Formats: sequence, C-alpha cells, structure tokens
Amino acid sequence: MVKRMLLVIMFVVNGFGGFATAGDKPIKDNRVSQLAMEVRDKGWIVYSARSQNGTWDLFLSRPDGSQRRNITNTPGFEEGAPRFSPDSRKLLYRRFQKGTVINHDLWGFQGMPVIADSNGTNPTLIGKEGQYSWASWSPDGKQIACLTKRGILIVDLTTKEVVSEMSRQGIFQQFFWSPDGKWFCGVANYLGEVWTVARIDVNTGLLNPAHKFQSCTPDWFPDSKHIIFSLRPAGQSANQGYGWTQLWMVEGDGNNPRLLFGQDDYHIYGGALSPDGKYVLFTKCPRDGGGSEESGAPICIMRFADAPTIGGKSYDLRKVHPDTKDGPVLQLCDGWEPCWTYADLN
Amino acid sequence: MIIEKQEISSQVCKTHFILIQKLMMAERIFILQLLLITVFCVSCAEKPTTGEDAQVTTMGSIEVTAQLVEIKGRLINDPMYDYAHVMKYKVLEVHRGKVDEETIYIAHYNPAKPRDAVADVRVPEIGGTLKRFRPSDIHRMALEVPIDDYYMGGIINKYFGEKTGPIYWAVWTNPVIK
Repeated sequence: MVKRMLLVIMFVVNGFGGFATAGDKPIKDNRVSQLAMEVRDKGWIVYSARSQNGTWDLFLSRPDGSQRRNITNTPGFEEGAPRFSPDSRKLLYRRFQKGTVINHDLWGFQGMPVIADSNGTNPTLIGKEGQYSWASWSPDGKQIACLTKRGILIVDLTTKEVVSEMSRQGIFQQFFWSPDGKWFCGVANYLGEVWTVARIDVNTGLLNPAHKFQSCTPDWFPDSKHIIFSLRPAGQSANQGYGWTQLWMVEGDGNNPRLLFGQDDYHIYGGALSPDGKYVLFTKCPRDGGGSEESGAPICIMRFADAPTIGGKSYDLRKVHPDTKDGPVLQLCDGWEPCWTYADLN
Repeated sequence: MIIEKQEISSQVCKTHFILIQKLMMAERIFILQLLLITVFCVSCAEKPTTGEDAQVTTMGSIEVTAQLVEIKGRLINDPMYDYAHVMKYKVLEVHRGKVDEETIYIAHYNPAKPRDAVADVRVPEIGGTLKRFRPSDIHRMALEVPIDDYYMGGIINKYFGEKTGPIYWAVWTNPVIK
C-alpha cells in the first residue's frame, strides 16, 4: 500500500516537474523515457557518490542510470571528481582521507591525485596530499596542468617534471585544459571582480574574461570554443534575495552567454557535455555548492538542443527566459562531478 | 471611635513600613547592579599591548604596526564561500622588511571570523589574536607581498582602479591597545 502511494506521489511530482527517475526505477514521462532510451547505449558516465560503506566512491553507469557499479569500493578512503582521459582509457581523480568533508570550492587542493584504468582498476597515486592541485588532463593524456600559487604548471606524467610554467593571472580554482590544448579556463579575480570565469591562451599566456559576476565551475565544450559554467545572476528576489544558481554557456571570448538549464529552488552545478556535445550533464541541489559536503545531488541529463530548459514552475525564471523549450530532463541517482565517455568500457 | 482611629493609624504605619522596606530593597538591588556593571567593565577593559608575540615577529617577511583607516564594502560572512577582503591601512611603524608607502592595502582572509579561527584547508598558516576588524583600530601584522604568491582564492577589492601598488597579504594579525 505504502509502495503504491509512493509510486503515485512520484508520478505526480515527476509529471509536474518534467522529471523522471531512470535506471532501476520506473519512468512515467514518455519524453523522459525516450531520452533515457536515446542515451542508454551512448557510453558511460563516471561520478562520485556515497556508497553503502558510507564513504565517497567512484561509480560507472550507463547514461540512463542502468548497469550502475561501484568501481573503487574503498571503505578506507573517500574518492571524488573523476575525469576520463581524452582516450578514455584512464581516470584522473582525487583520493581523500576517510571522513574528509569534500569542499565544493577546495576539492582541487584536497587529497591526493590518482590515475586508474577507466574501470577503476590499477589505481596509482601520482602525488602527495595536496600535490598537483586542480590537475587536468592534456589533450594527449601524457601531461597534466595544475593550478598552484606559483602559477600554472604543466607536468609530464612519466617523468613528473614541470615542463612548462606560466602566470595564473588571478585564476584561483576550478581549472581545466581545453580538449584542443589551446586554452585553460578557471575561476578568477579579474579587474576587481571576484567570481569571473576566465580563459587563458596557452601559447601567449593572455587572459580574457568569459563571464563576470558570480560565475564559477567552468568546463569545456568538446569544441574547445564554448565554456559551460554555473551562474547566480543578480536581481533575483527568490531564496531571500540570494537567488538560485543556473547552468549557462558562453563563447570563450565572452560572447553570447545563454541559459542552458535553471530551476527555482535548485542550484545547478557539475555542468559537463557528452563527447559529441549533444547532451548536457549537471546536478541540481537545493543547497548551494552542489552537495559535495554531504551526499551530492541528483545527476541530470538533458538534450543540448532543448536548451534553454526550465524545470518546475519557476515563475520568476520563466519571466526572464520566456523562450524556454521545457525539454525532458532525465534524473539519475545522487552524485557529484559527473563525466561522460562514449568509449565501450565493457 | 478612638479604637477605630488607632486601627487606621496602625494600618497606615504598616503600609509605610512595607513601602520603605521595598524602597530600601530596590536601592540595594540598584547598588548591587551598579557594582556588578563596574566589576564587569573593569574586567573587560582591554589591557595595553604592543601586539608583539612569537608569531607576528617571525612569520611573513614584513612586520608592521598600522592603523586600519577604512573597510570598503560589506564583510561577507557566508559559510559556503571564502574571501580575502582588501582594507586600507596607514603604516605607523615598520618592524621588519621594507614598506615604501605610508598608505598600504592589506587583504585579510574571511575577516568576519576571529583570527584564531580563520585557518582552513585553503589557507592553513594564518591567524592572530584579533577578534574583530574596526576602522581606526591599530594592528600589528606579519605580512607577505604580493598576495598572489601566497593566497589563491576570491579577493574582494573595492579599491581596484583607485590605487597603485601591491596588495599585502595578512599572515598574522594582533590588536594593539594604547
């Protein structure tokens, strides 16, 4: 009886919100069912999530949430922020001491960097606690770029030597190397404005702002020309004037910023693209920060072609973005910092 | 008739007696309160200090005593986010290192927090005994410069465009009481 009631409640909530669960759970929204079927065989997503042993572990699942499996299962450690190497053969992530509270802004400074096979086997520590902060893959997977006080360091993974170094120009966290190797992006202090998403030309070292004001957690589109990021726009009266964080995109030179997804009552973080750029991954969390301090937040997938999409009633947001397409959003389990590959990991 | 008058007189006396007793009690309580307030104020009075201690005299490459001239902008106290806030100081004395200008700009990490509770994963080696930042107060500080070599995080700098010269990074901050 209770189960039936829960199913009815889930149906009503999902129906109004345009969301549905997937994987092992029933899907009631036909559009969401279609989206789930569409992405089911499109490779794998990796993400960090709380496991049954209580710690953060790394999980692989199909993009519809099926075939979920714990690929680290380490009760003695916390693990988070996995990234597939460009050839999808390896994972780069950070391992934290058990019980560490993973800070949404500091995680790149926390823990030890690890490289493992993309199915989680053969984990190898490549540095000490706090070393290679904000490490990010080079396009050929042979180097990593790190963000340190000293500057941006490019480290050869075989020799562990710093092969190149440049000024970080105010970038202080959430740092990623573009797939084409030509750019870095990160969050910077720029011309007195904190929380600016900025881009640095790897060859010249020149920095340009991509989006100012309360912008953070940038990452690259597969084309290396666009940046996906989170933004809490000014002028929101909701949430006692604090507002809600939305998922946006912008060209690397700062042109054409536009909304990808937003929903009042939720902060949207963890933005990433599928390898072909056709789908958008993100997490939506009622609390600001993305949930890394607790148990993450629901991982969601939408079609890029459906952007901008607004979830839920979101009266205020709909007034600002009347062009919303209200596309289907596939909601998976709770997690943090998802990453997508089309490689066949079987 | 006489008896009635005596009874009334007796009742008036009793009322006066009670009233006087209550007044005396109130007076005692008032005096006691005054005493307590005086004792509290005396115990809270800040003792004169130069701010010198083992940390401020050894940490950082620069050590100054300076007066906090101005705090521009609101100090953010948001448990979700960390900031360094740039404040304007007038240098009164240079104890160590070199400072060329009388007016300098110093960034304090999460200044809404007492200095002895401010260290964290991002900034593990800072502190001090200062509890609260107030304009016109005098601080003895261990500093580093430029800030970007020692701190990687959000900087609220309301002086951007107004000033030239580096931003100093406060490593240790103690109050100076004269």
